[in-house]
Amino acid sequence: MSVPTEYLLGLAAILFGIGIAGFLTRRNLIVVLMSIELMLNAANLSLVAGARMHSTQRLLDGAGPDLQGPVLAIFVIAVAAVEAAVGLALIIALYRRKQTVSLESVSELRD
Amino acid sequence: MANLLFYLMATLATVCAIGVVVARSPVVSVVSLLGSFASLAIIYLLAGYQFLAAVQILVYGGAVMVLFLFTIMLLNLGDPAVIHGESEPLFHHSRRTLLGLGVAAAVGAAGLIAILRVAWSAMPQPAELPEGGLDPLDQLAASMFTHYSLAFEAASVLLLATAVGVLVLAKRNRRPTAEVFPRESQQPATPSSPPTSTPSAGAQGQEVAEEGVLS
Repeated sequence: MSVPTEYLLGLAAILFGIGIAGFLTRRNLIVVLMSIELMLNAANLSLVAGARMHSTQRLLDGAGPDLQGPVLAIFVIAVAAVEAAVGLALIIALYRRKQTVSLESVSELRD
Repeated sequence: MANLLFYLMATLATVCAIGVVVARSPVVSVVSLLGSFASLAIIYLLAGYQFLAAVQILVYGGAVMVLFLFTIMLLNLGDPAVIHGESEPLFHHSRRTLLGLGVAAAVGAAGLIAILRVAWSAMPQPAELPEGGLDPLDQLAASMFTHYSLAFEAASVLLLATAVGVLVLAKRNRRPTAEVFPRESQQPATPSSPPTSTPSAGAQGQEVAEEGVLS
């Protein structure tokens, strides 16, 4: 694939913007969690784009590919899975208390 | 050919991401999210990251999707118009919605402008992929178990702590008062309080105060 790096980064920016829009506007907690996953995916995509660009330079110099990007992306995926598990457990606990998953129902700390 | 596939997958990822945000039913959102994950995995594959694509499919397409779907099915959170016979508006609080959309558009536009301002012609342009892709598994494993071993161990400790924490959070309390955290586990944690003072009165006061906050 000879797609330039900026296209990958642009796709990451668009996905991140969509994730922020869902995170800020939706009231359903599960959809909010999904928007966070979208944003983490966009961050991973930008890591991949940067690693690919640096790998190209390093391969031209005769060195091996750059591994910092993929390693960090794998750690991000692990942390994202952890975040989804904890968030969904919190949602289940909240549903048990209030029989709803709406963000409107957990506004006690706001007042 | 690969470029065409990239544009196709980028379009699909964007459309599916929009579908996650605007879908009324959480199940539709989850399926859209799965489409977005799959298109991103194909983009990783096209960019030369084979192992990352496999991890994306396994962890996101497998584990995280099952978690989301299981929660939705467990709590019976389908389309609210179908389940409750009422159709709530998708976005409440129009001012807040407008503000959120404005912030999202600003962040996305700022990212796009920052990307456009870089002199990409001076950067190395992507060439032909090497034989094993850009993340050869042997080098990746060697790097992860030597140079990044501390982060690896931290991730394993994080996973263990998550397993314990999720068990504590999701454990059903068998007492009639539906408390997420049992109160017995908190009382022995205050040894400094004098034993003669009635702890029940203090606990009752605490309970009343908490109920006042919660109601």
